Amino acid sequence: MQEKQYKTDVLIIGAGSAGLWAAHSVKVQNPDTNVLVVDKGPENWGGLMSAAGGDLDVVMPDEKIEDWLRDWVYYYDGLCDQKLHEKLFARSYDILQQYLEWGCEYLTDENGDMETVGVKQRGLDHIKLYVTKIKGSGGLRLVNALVKAITAEGVESIGRTLITDLVKNQEGRIVGAVGFDTIDGTFITIQAKAVLLATGMGGWKSSYMSNTETAEGLEMAFRAGAELRNLEFSRVWVVPKLFGWEGQTTLLPLGARFVNARGENFMEYYTNNPKLAGNTDPHYTATGMCMEMRAGRGPIYLDTTTLQPGKDAVVMPKMGWQLINYNRLKDDCGIDFFHQKTEWMPQPLCSYGGLVTDSDGATRVPGLYAAGRCRSIDPGVYTGGFALMTTAVTGQIAGEAITEYIRNVEIEQLDSAAVEEYREKLYAPLGKPGINSKEVLRAVQRIAYAYDVCLVKSEKSLNNALHQLETLKQELVPNMSAADPHYLLKLKETEATVFITECYIRASLERKESRAGHFREDYPDHADAWLKWLICGLKDGELSFRTEDVPIDEYKIPLTEYYQDNFKYV
Amino acid sequence: MIAKIDSEKCIGCGVCVRTCPLDTIRLSEAGQAKIAYPEDCMTCFACEMVCPVGAIYVHPFKEILPRTLSNMY
Repeated sequence: MQEKQYKTDVLIIGAGSAGLWAAHSVKVQNPDTNVLVVDKGPENWGGLMSAAGGDLDVVMPDEKIEDWLRDWVYYYDGLCDQKLHEKLFARSYDILQQYLEWGCEYLTDENGDMETVGVKQRGLDHIKLYVTKIKGSGGLRLVNALVKAITAEGVESIGRTLITDLVKNQEGRIVGAVGFDTIDGTFITIQAKAVLLATGMGGWKSSYMSNTETAEGLEMAFRAGAELRNLEFSRVWVVPKLFGWEGQTTLLPLGARFVNARGENFMEYYTNNPKLAGNTDPHYTATGMCMEMRAGRGPIYLDTTTLQPGKDAVVMPKMGWQLINYNRLKDDCGIDFFHQKTEWMPQPLCSYGGLVTDSDGATRVPGLYAAGRCRSIDPGVYTGGFALMTTAVTGQIAGEAITEYIRNVEIEQLDSAAVEEYREKLYAPLGKPGINSKEVLRAVQRIAYAYDVCLVKSEKSLNNALHQLETLKQELVPNMSAADPHYLLKLKETEATVFITECYIRASLERKESRAGHFREDYPDHADAWLKWLICGLKDGELSFRTEDVPIDEYKIPLTEYYQDNFKYV
Repeated sequence: MIAKIDSEKCIGCGVCVRTCPLDTIRLSEAGQAKIAYPEDCMTCFACEMVCPVGAIYVHPFKEILPRTLSNMY
């Protein structure tokens, strides 16, 4: 196999919102710093941001961050890192201003004011998002603006390259990484003063444009000694049964409703809060859907005919993939999205597990930083616009911290014995007879997608899932093979998916209560003793869990009410 | 999922090959775009949007995945 070597000051893995913002940030701090952005997809493609709507959560200048904090503490059932949220959202308006300066456009009222058109989220009092002016390709426009900026700044980029292992020096500092070109198989080595992971969360290749976040970044950082947290929370979206749709976070607050086979707004069975019966996090809606289907009142539909009149400008796709999708559903499939009910279902996307870092994004492994969704911030419940804002800010902050860190660091040679070991292990499945990794992925999906694993969990169902996963790990995983470098990429992704699935199930067994995006049917209420984060590290080759108390007494906002208490399923 | 690349329209420019996030499309030996790894398509329409001659048709229906409640729908 051919080999190619790179040398850079800062290696950024992942060309999504966090990675691109970090690259920009490093260049703003010091234009002379060499930055290399590597992605397993196309060069600088923007990651999941390229398909996103472009919505942003912004604390406007006339608002108080404390008000938003109060919403988060309530919404996260206390699991809010308040100092971090304050730090991140203090910059949210600046991020918006930068996007506007780059020519990105957001919806305004007739006077040109944005403040009046924010869409409140999840029935909360203050958290709201702002939508792009032309619905359909908002995320892609943000990507194009960022890429234009970093290209002008001299950031170097390579695509179609999967980084598989981080390389340390003798002192345990990260000094580079290795990987391979997923088209021609070339072995890649990269020397760097610091490495930033911006690889997103780890998931199950569901159909919500999330087929690229498969946890290999988390897995290699974990192997290198970093810790993970929030693994017990999963993101279960509600999606159309047959096709894709972007924009529930806007549709629901504006009047669309999920209904059961009888046409009832079934969430009324599970909450006494009328504000939340039709407009809450997908975690709660999806749990309700499962309960409805289990009770024989499925299938579930999205009813768009209840949308408030005059909101077309906000919800109707006007360009991009969303417009093609909308028109094609209408013209070729007989589905008129805004004039009929469509069948929807729960679908797990990913674990919320991410790297434990300090507030700047430094992991406990020297030289290894994290930004964006691979740095877990929210515990399994989500507000629209949160990701595009927090990925931007965590990228920006990490870029600043790395700039400081590399001041006294030199580029080092990579340990050749370690590199050889990684190379040998990487190519071992290539060309040998065995199982296609897609088969294994399907088997993992069948385990993780079961409603009593992804949503309505219990000790019995989780132990059963763990047993199935252990069998799969023993019988299928070692026999996976790859016919070419493309399939080697898929194989590496599947290995990481197996890893994150095990983390998810084991962490779900650990948290013996229900809180935020974690629901245990056998422990349906929150327990005071569990106001803590669950953190996972590697000990003697095994996953090892510890907890860390949420320092609620040191925080500004006390925990006085729980969002979760609005819902009752058992 | 990606359903068709019209070989009569395709000019072999390779833009779709470079754009696909999942490396689903490759150029054939004859220099035309072909669906090389159909099982990886995530129905993002990116290829169709960048094709300069309208040669690509993506069907809006997605791959069928395991269900959360397998016996109910």
